[in-house]
Amino acid sequence: MTNEATDVKLTVPLFDLVNDSGALTALLITKEGHAIAEAGDTSYLNTTAMAALIAGMFSATREVARMVGESQFSILLQQGSNRHIHISLVTDSVMMVVIFEDYQRIGRVRHEARKAGEKLMASLRTNESRVTAQVAGELCVPEFKEYALNLIDRIFTAK
Amino acid sequence: MPHISYERREIAFKLVYYGPGMSGKTTNLAQIHKRLAAEVKTEMISLDTHEDRTLFFDFMPVELGSIDGYMIRFNMYTVPGQVYYEASRRLILDGADGVVFVADSQPGRLEENVLSYKRMEQNLRSYKHDPRNFPMVLQYNKRDCPSALPVGTLEREVSCHGVPVVEAVATEGRGVMETVRLLSRQIVERFHL
Repeated sequence: MTNEATDVKLTVPLFDLVNDSGALTALLITKEGHAIAEAGDTSYLNTTAMAALIAGMFSATREVARMVGESQFSILLQQGSNRHIHISLVTDSVMMVVIFEDYQRIGRVRHEARKAGEKLMASLRTNESRVTAQVAGELCVPEFKEYALNLIDRIFTAK
Repeated sequence: MPHISYERREIAFKLVYYGPGMSGKTTNLAQIHKRLAAEVKTEMISLDTHEDRTLFFDFMPVELGSIDGYMIRFNMYTVPGQVYYEASRRLILDGADGVVFVADSQPGRLEENVLSYKRMEQNLRSYKHDPRNFPMVLQYNKRDCPSALPVGTLEREVSCHGVPVVEAVATEGRGVMETVRLLSRQIVERFHL
């Protein structure tokens, strides 16, 4: 894989958001709990588990919203002692998560998150078909299945 | 359909363990976690109550390995089994690529198995899946209990025939790896781009 092949349409707005807001990390997460793009420092974070938990939290919040007569809450804010999380909906099925440290910058984070969200919205609409086409160009499905089935048989063995 | 990330060079499948309360869904995941080699597993996350009942879900990602530069990841979830967590169960099924139904073999629990199975079918339909044509394994757990329900009982009650069946004692790890292996194979067999 080359760097040129990286899907810049998703990462560039996230990098801009991190740089311009002074945030630590920005992630894009689907409502099914998968992380699809990230920017900033992720070395301290298990992004896979984070994506699953954030998606669960957002789903639960959506149900809560319905109970009070809202279709959903578009922004969630978690305030900690040192780190804080700003979560916003980009599309119906994708969330943007921003982790930041200086709570004084919440206004800036919110502003940059909104800007990034607007840029990401169009890319996300075509993202699935674009990704499938990119992957199809690199992956031979019959071979993939054969290798994957071998891995499954090797890893999920009774001991 | 698995989640494919070109950005992260990753193909992620979602496996969900479904079934009535206390049937052994979390135990299945814990036993898989115990038996997997260290290099393929990460931490298992449980959102449970003080009584160790699953409150929202358990989550465990497993990295199978890399194929043509793409990491193959199986994200495994359990749903909370208790009747009043129906909304959570439905949400967790969203985006699932396959389901293990963990049935409780104790004779007094047939009705709960049937109810849970039917709800699972309804929930799958709500996501436009045909439950009769969806990767699935039926696990009869707790086979060591006295007068265990005969295999075939649940299939007759809910008219699901042809679903692969595994007999298990999850607390001892019996049948656990066979269950996940059978489901994983079904899921990969259906993979397409």
